[in-house]
Amino acid sequence: MDKLNENARERKQIKLGEIDTGPILVALLLGFIAVAIFVILRRRSAGRKDFLLTGLSESGKSAIFMQLIHGKFPATFTSIKENVGDYQAGSASARLVDIPGHYRVRDKCLELYKHRAKGIVFVVDSVTAHKDIRDVADFLYTILSDSATQPCSVLVLCNKQDQTTAKSAQVIKSLLESELNTVRDTRSRKLQSVGDEDGSKPITLGKPGRDFEFSHIAQNIQFAEASAKDTELNTLTDWLSRLL
Amino acid sequence: MLDFVVIFTKGGVVLWHSNASGSSFASCINSLIRGVILEERNTEAKYFEEDHLAVQFKLDNELDLVYAAIFQKVIKLNYLDGFLADMQTAFKEKYGDIRLGDDYDFDREYRRVLSAAEEASAKQVKAPKAMRSYNESQKSKKTVASMIQDDKKPVEKRVNIQESPPPAKSQPSSPATGSSKDDIIMENRRKLREKLTPTKKTSPSDSKPSKPASEKAGKKPRVWDLGGNSKDAVMLDRSKDTPEDVQYQNINSELVGTMQGVIRDLDVESEAEAENEEESSEEEQEEQVQVSKKSKRGGLLSYFKGIVGAKTMSLADLQPALEKMRDHLISKNVATEIAAKLCDSVATSLDGKQMGTFDSIASQVKEALTQSLVRILSPKRRIDIIRDALESKRNGRPYTIIFCGVNGVGKSTNLAKICFWLIENDFNVLIAACDTFRAGAVEQLRTHTRHLNALHPAAKHDGRTMVQLYEKGYGKDAAGIAMEAIKFAHDTRVDVVLVDTAGRMQDNEPLMRSLSKLIKVNNPDLVLFVGEALVGNEAVDQLVKFNQSLADYSSNENPHIIDGIVLTKFDTIDDKVGAAISMTYITGQPIVFVGTGQTYADLKAINVNAVVNSLMK
Repeated sequence: MDKLNENARERKQIKLGEIDTGPILVALLLGFIAVAIFVILRRRSAGRKDFLLTGLSESGKSAIFMQLIHGKFPATFTSIKENVGDYQAGSASARLVDIPGHYRVRDKCLELYKHRAKGIVFVVDSVTAHKDIRDVADFLYTILSDSATQPCSVLVLCNKQDQTTAKSAQVIKSLLESELNTVRDTRSRKLQSVGDEDGSKPITLGKPGRDFEFSHIAQNIQFAEASAKDTELNTLTDWLSRLL
Repeated sequence: MLDFVVIFTKGGVVLWHSNASGSSFASCINSLIRGVILEERNTEAKYFEEDHLAVQFKLDNELDLVYAAIFQKVIKLNYLDGFLADMQTAFKEKYGDIRLGDDYDFDREYRRVLSAAEEASAKQVKAPKAMRSYNESQKSKKTVASMIQDDKKPVEKRVNIQESPPPAKSQPSSPATGSSKDDIIMENRRKLREKLTPTKKTSPSDSKPSKPASEKAGKKPRVWDLGGNSKDAVMLDRSKDTPEDVQYQNINSELVGTMQGVIRDLDVESEAEAENEEESSEEEQEEQVQVSKKSKRGGLLSYFKGIVGAKTMSLADLQPALEKMRDHLISKNVATEIAAKLCDSVATSLDGKQMGTFDSIASQVKEALTQSLVRILSPKRRIDIIRDALESKRNGRPYTIIFCGVNGVGKSTNLAKICFWLIENDFNVLIAACDTFRAGAVEQLRTHTRHLNALHPAAKHDGRTMVQLYEKGYGKDAAGIAMEAIKFAHDTRVDVVLVDTAGRMQDNEPLMRSLSKLIKVNNPDLVLFVGEALVGNEAVDQLVKFNQSLADYSSNENPHIIDGIVLTKFDTIDDKVGAAISMTYITGQPIVFVGTGQTYADLKAINVNAVVNSLMK
C-alpha cells in the first residue's frame, strides 16, 4: 500500500510539478549547435580538398593524370568526361580531377568541381604556348577571376619540356602576363549577357590602373616546368605534397 | 582490313588498341570526338569520315567507354556494327569493371571476335552467289527455320548456321536409311545431303548428273534459266565450290558460337587459330576459369543490384520520356528536326546506363538533355572580337566582319548596334554599304552613320572620325565595293570594317553565288549570319542552305562558311528561345551577339544557363 501510495504521489508530483522548460531548451540548443558545428566542419573539410588539372585541349592533362595516379603513360584522346582519381603522397591523399580541355565541356565541368578545389594545376603546352597564347590566357583569366577559386593555390605547369622547341616557364610567364593584361582590358568591355539578373560579377584581376602582374592577384600562383612523357613531374609532386 | 581498333574511356584514356598499319590515328579519333560526340551528333549512324579514313564507333554508357574502328573509306565493311557490339560483349565479359591503371590485354579476344565477324560477313557476301543452286536455297530455308526458334542477334544467327553442319557431316550414314522418311522437309534435306556428300567424298562429276536430273523431275525451271545442258559444266563447278564453302564456314562459325556463348569447351579450332590455341590452351583454360568466376560474381552483383533497384535504362524505357521532352522542346520553338535529333542523341547517351534507386527516368532524361543543351550552346572556340580586332590592329590591317542573312531579319540595324559597341570600345569603323539592291539601304546606313557620329563626335576621340560610310550607290557589284572599302580602310588606318550585304532568300541561287563570291574575294575575319529568334522550322533550312551554298559556290578548298550567329529580335519571344538551339546545333557555331531592342545599346551576349533554363522551364 505504501509503495502504491508513493508511486501515486510521485506520479502526481510529475504531473503537477511545473515543468521546467529551461533545461530542455538548453539541451535542444546544445544539440543544435553540435549538429551545426559538425555540418560546418564537415563542409569545410569536404569543401576544399580536390586538385584540378585544367588547361587547353592537348596540353597533356590526361597524360599527367595517368602518370600521377597510375604511373603509366598511355595514349590519350580528347576527353569527353572528367577523370577522377586518388592521389597518394605518403600518408596524405587527395582527389585529383582531370577537367576536359575542350571548350564545349570544360566550363560545365569546372563549374562542378571548382567549389571543392584546393589547388588548381593549369597545364600549358610549352611548344604551342606562343601561338595559342590568346586562348591560354583567356582560359587562365576565366579561372583566376572566378570568385570560387580565390582561395586556391595555382600552379602553371609548362608541360612538354622534352620537346626542343618548348618555351621555358619564365618566357611563358611573361607572355601570359602581357596577354592577361590585354584580356583584362577586353573583358571589361564585354557585352552584358542576356538575362543577367544574378549580380555575380566576375572579379577584375590585378591592381586597377597598373599592368597586370601575377604577384597582384589573390591566389598564390607559381610556375613550373614538367614533362609527362619523360615522367619529370617532380615539380608538380613537390607542389602537391606541400599543399597536402 | 581494319587499320586501327581502339577502346578508350570517355576520359580519353586508351585502354587497349590494335594498330595494323603502324601510323598514328590520334588526330582522326580526336576529330571524331570533337566533331561528332561533343557536338551531340552521335545519332547519325555512328559513322564518321575524315580524308580517306572512316570511323565506326560505339558508345558504352554503362562503363563509359568508346569503341572505335578505323578503316579505309573505300572499303565497305558491313559487319562493323555487329563486330563492335560483339567486341563490347567480349570486353565486358573479360573485364567486368574498368579501372584506369589496369593493363588490358584484349588481343586474343579481339582477334577471335574479328575473325568471327569477318567469316560471318564473308558468308553473307557469298550467299547471293550460292543462292542460284538448289541446295543453297535449301540451306537458307533451314536457317530460317532455326531462326524462328530463336531470332535475336546476328550472333545467334551464326550459332544456328553452325548447327547446320552436323547433319551435313552425318550424311554418309543417313542418306541411305533416312531416304524413306515421309516428311517433305526431310526429303529436301536428304537431297541436300546427297548433293553435299558426293562432292565432298568423290569426284563431283558423279553427283552432278543426279542433281540436274532430280531438278528436272522436280520443279526448278530456274536452273534452266542459267543455261542448257551444255552449261551444266559451269553449274558443276559452282556447286563444287559451294559445299566447300559451306564446310569452311561451318568450321569457323562453330568458333563463333563458342566465343559468343557463356563459356563452352575449347575443342573447336579454325585453321587460323589452330596454332595459337594449341600453344596457349592451358592459359586459355585458366582464363576460362577466371572468366567464369567473373561472370558468376557479376551474376551475384546483379542479384544484389536487383534488390537495391539499380536498373539499366533501355531505349524502350526511355521512349515515353523522350517523346515528352521532344514535344516540350518543339513547344519552345526548337525546330522539329533538331528536337528529334537531340532526343535521339540523349537516348544514345543514356542507353545502357545504370540508374540509381531513387532516380526516375524522366529526371534522368531531363538532366541529360540539359547537359547536352548546355554543351551545344557553349561555344567551341574562344569568341572575343575585341581581342582579335586588337590583334589585327597591331598587324596593321582592318578587321573585317561580313553580315549575311535573309530579308528583314535586322542586318543593318544590328550592324549599327555592333558599330556603336565597337566605337564605345575605341575602335574606328568603316561601314561598307554592299546592299546595292534594296531601295533606301544606303540611306539607312548613312542615317546611322550620322547618328553615331553625333553620339561620338570626332572631338571626343582625338579628332578621329569614328564612323565612316563607304558607299558606291546602287546596282554595283557588292564584292567589288567591299574590296574597295577594305582597301580604303587599310589605307586610312581604320580598325574595323563592317560589310552590310543585301538580304537574300536561301533558295535564290544567283544571289547566293554572289554572296559566296563576296566572301571568297574579301576573305573576312568573321562571317556572321543574322537570324531572327522568331524563326521556327525555317531556321534549319536557312542555315543549312546558307552554309551549303557558301561551301559549294566557293571554288576554294577550304571555303569560309558561317562562323558566328547574331540572334535578333530576342526581346519579342519571351521564353520560346528554341531558335538559339536550332541555329547553334546546325552550324555548330556560337551565338556572338543577341539583339534585344531598338536602341543602339540593345546588344547583348548570350547567357547559356539563362537560355537553357528558360528552355527547360
